Amino acid sequence: MALVDLVKPEIIKVPLEAKSKEGVIRELLQVLVDAGRLDDFDAAYDALLAREAKGSTGLEAGIAVPHAKTDTVSSLNLAIGIAPDGIDFRALDGNPSYLFFLMLAPTNQSGPHIEALSEIARITQSKSFCKLLLRAKDSEEVAELLTEED
Amino acid sequence: MEGPIRNILVYVDGTEEAITAAQYSVCLAKSTGANLYALYVINTRALNDLVKARIFLDSEEEEYHRDLESDAERYLKHVNKMAGRKGVPVTLEKRSGTVHQEIKKYAAEVDADLLLIGELSHVRSRRDEFYHETERAMRLVHCSVLMVKDEERVWDLYDSLPEE
Repeated sequence: MALVDLVKPEIIKVPLEAKSKEGVIRELLQVLVDAGRLDDFDAAYDALLAREAKGSTGLEAGIAVPHAKTDTVSSLNLAIGIAPDGIDFRALDGNPSYLFFLMLAPTNQSGPHIEALSEIARITQSKSFCKLLLRAKDSEEVAELLTEED
Repeated sequence: MEGPIRNILVYVDGTEEAITAAQYSVCLAKSTGANLYALYVINTRALNDLVKARIFLDSEEEEYHRDLESDAERYLKHVNKMAGRKGVPVTLEKRSGTVHQEIKKYAAEVDADLLLIGELSHVRSRRDEFYHETERAMRLVHCSVLMVKDEERVWDLYDSLPEE
């Protein structure tokens, strides 16, 4: 499954209002609930925090990719958030995180989950692309950037 | 066996689209008498990339590798069952590595005349053309490629084949 299949304006929040790591995770899960993609908020939240407890998914260069396997979803789900002022996500480099890609996958769909995560890893390697995402004014613009067909 | 299609290879990656491709491959093998091969590739390259990017912890890599192993078993078993129901023998193959390279290698090994893949996304970006594993395989293999579309039509076709 390609990342573009998952990217829709309704699963993107710009800007994020949360000011903490846990707050960002909750806010992005709420985005999925509001989009009708997630029923069991608490179970998904627990799964994500359990993963974070093993090691932060806040990477370098302001990117965070919180992810977890959970059977509270029946298919791969992605929520994207942008925090232009940065949030302390306890990232590996100690710097604030700005771009958040939260992913939930059912336990029996590891293949598509891994492919989507590696696509995120690839696109976030481009600093200029990340800058474009950070400058996006709304969710539609983020979706357009991620699904552009040029 | 005669005719233009003697060896059909279907790539199964755990998506619904790939299952539709597998159904169609059974229909094609049944009508042409071609040998049918089904391949699942455990994408260890993506796993390694995720560890390098620090998205995955080492323990997570092992866990997902095990998950992919069981996905491979499950999906290949499913293809075997689908083919068996229609009396079509199928050779199942599980490999690990970089997906497009493994597809290319195996297609050459079994001297495939035709590679069947599931439908690709409608919306594509240029990035995907460079990085999408199935799309890369499609461009790399030596044989002709058929992208299977229209799940309902394929389902009806498969359903209409007599059971054995």
